[in-house]
Amino acid sequence: MSAAGKANLTEPQKKSSTELSEAEAIERAKQGDAEAFQVLYDKHKRRVYSLCLRMTANTAEAEDLAQEAFLQLYRKIGTFRGESAFSTWLHRLAVNVVLMHLRKKSLPVVSLEETTQAAEDDSPRKDFGADDIALSGSIDRLQLQRAVNDLPPGYRTIFVLHDVEGYEHNEIARLVGCSIGNSKSQLHKARMKLRDLLKMNRAEKAGKS
Amino acid sequence: MNCVELQQSLADVEDGSSREQSTHLRTCPACSELLEELNLIVSTASQLQASDEPSPRVWNSIEIALRQEGLIRPQLANGGWAASSFAARWGVARWLVPAAAMVLLLIGLQERGGLLPNRSTQEAVIVPQAVPQVANYSGLNDEDLIQEVADNPPAMRSQYEENLKRVNESIQDAENTVKESPNDQDARRSLMDAYQQKSMLFEMAMDHPLQQ
Repeated sequence: MSAAGKANLTEPQKKSSTELSEAEAIERAKQGDAEAFQVLYDKHKRRVYSLCLRMTANTAEAEDLAQEAFLQLYRKIGTFRGESAFSTWLHRLAVNVVLMHLRKKSLPVVSLEETTQAAEDDSPRKDFGADDIALSGSIDRLQLQRAVNDLPPGYRTIFVLHDVEGYEHNEIARLVGCSIGNSKSQLHKARMKLRDLLKMNRAEKAGKS
Repeated sequence: MNCVELQQSLADVEDGSSREQSTHLRTCPACSELLEELNLIVSTASQLQASDEPSPRVWNSIEIALRQEGLIRPQLANGGWAASSFAARWGVARWLVPAAAMVLLLIGLQERGGLLPNRSTQEAVIVPQAVPQVANYSGLNDEDLIQEVADNPPAMRSQYEENLKRVNESIQDAENTVKESPNDQDARRSLMDAYQQKSMLFEMAMDHPLQQ
């Protein structure tokens, strides 16, 4: 603990946690300021936790992974030099924590269906089904959330990274260790699968009512 | 370009804007509808970002880990964070140890089977009963916690109050679920987690003044 840092903590004019900007919070967190850690957590907790939850589809795992991501962040915060946005740095760290977890669980971060079931799954369907229910209008967020949870893990990873988190295909390819073409293909299939799941969901509801 | 080729091409040009795609889409209502629905999925997907709130357990666990690792430094001047001593903290939370032991013991007895005659009814009540005994032992209740943090900065105080409210809600929900489904292991785990969250909250709140 440095004397300078200690003095900083005891300054009478110290801002309350609610007044801290992110940059100030980062600097104070580097000095070990508990409130600064919490400011950063409060600012980013929803995004990090939601990312973990979307990618695992499991609340308990998502909480553990969010916790691990923030702990890694705080352990490494002294090395943050501001070359990239703090949020970008944190979210990438969180993605790596989740991907590492999926790999440990031997879950494919890229869907195996891509290579093992190419003949069947890669063929686009020629008919759209006579009983097709249109998704026109809007999709309820919770419905989509449930459908994403039902995606195979590999599809889910690519969909969440690209369509939810906004990563580009070249970034995804680097993160998950696949080709850009594979990432594009997986994403398209994930969207098609989601469309099917959403339609099935609507059909079930229509059948009940 | 036919419908099959159009579908294949959407992996590369997802907005259907290439000349071949546009030509096909103008004459094919089914493919136009497909593209429209995929776009709808994409536009809704962004709403899933930051849509969920983690439970208070996450921050409580992070904070404890940070303190154990020495990453959080003491804050002495304004009555906030005091010097962290693992032994002292667990001295304050001494009631947590018999609580955990009691709950684990009772669950262990049930898991071994045969020792408790009516498994389903016992499970429903045993875990909820364990913590009130602990609370009596420690003499601590929610009011004590609120009073304990009253001198903290407003932001921290309100955070404690909010966490206490949420954790009580979690306990209530989990207790209801356990009562409805006594054999549901997930529900019982959730209840244990909720009790643990509350214990940690008390631990953190009670820690500060004793350290000063």
